[in-house]
Amino acid sequence: MKNKLKPISIFVGLVWLVNAGIIFAEPVRDLLMAANQNTSNKSPVTFEHVHSLALDSAGQTLFLGAHTGLFRSDDRGRSWNKVSLSTKHAHLDVMDVTTDPREPKTIYIATHEAGVFKSTDGGRTWKEASSGLGGPDVHGLAIDPNMPFKLHAAVREKGDGIYRTTDNGGKWIRVDDGPQGEVKVLRSVNISTGMGGIFLYAGTSTGLQRSPDCF
Amino acid sequence: MGGLPTNRTVNGLAVDPENSNVMLVPMRDGLFQSMDSGQSWKRVGNELKNLAAVIINPKKPTAMYLSTLDGTIYVSIDAGMKWKKQQ
Repeated sequence: MKNKLKPISIFVGLVWLVNAGIIFAEPVRDLLMAANQNTSNKSPVTFEHVHSLALDSAGQTLFLGAHTGLFRSDDRGRSWNKVSLSTKHAHLDVMDVTTDPREPKTIYIATHEAGVFKSTDGGRTWKEASSGLGGPDVHGLAIDPNMPFKLHAAVREKGDGIYRTTDNGGKWIRVDDGPQGEVKVLRSVNISTGMGGIFLYAGTSTGLQRSPDCF
Repeated sequence: MGGLPTNRTVNGLAVDPENSNVMLVPMRDGLFQSMDSGQSWKRVGNELKNLAAVIINPKKPTAMYLSTLDGTIYVSIDAGMKWKKQQ
């Protein structure tokens, strides 16, 4: 029987939300307007909408997944260069980025249009790693911190559900229906479930949810 | 207990590589930190809002990067307490 990802029921934060809205409304608006102007003046790079940030396991190179593609920065986010991903797809919306915790040059990305891509040379070249996924729209990608050959992917729309690979993205198998709501991020967290396995956390349109990954 | 805005979108999640109970969540409402694997949260990062993603440096977990939805990058060197816009 499949397990559903369960909401973490203790997240009650209405007081925080109200306080944040009233106290900080004006300063935040000014700050964001300034940030927008600075960004557009400094760089021709356009993200449109940022989805994900990742660092290689050496802590040196930043990767940013956005509506307009994948970007890398080798100067701690001061400047960004677009990464060439695929000649087959003119536009790729990069929904999530995750890096191998032991191999600094191994990076995985989840895309809205074309599944999962993998690089083993620091992002210079990419190969599709979507075999077995039920659909192309992947919204979350989590790598196991203890066993980096094991990843989970959250697929939306066609073939929706949680998929698992245990061979570095070579083959995916659907293992769960997934959490409620639209997945925005998926992370394997090194907290023992007591039943074997660790917890899989999902940030979604309805909050943060988690489930043992041994389903 | 609690501390995360309810029924709101969680855009990202970063976990301290040296202590998995320590987590950061960026939301439109701000940046939230948990020290107990998500059971309770407090808001950090002062007035920052409209946040898309956050990452913790695996080699130096007090160093972190944060992106707003429009791609403005902020950096923290004190485990997320103070953030400075990357120039």
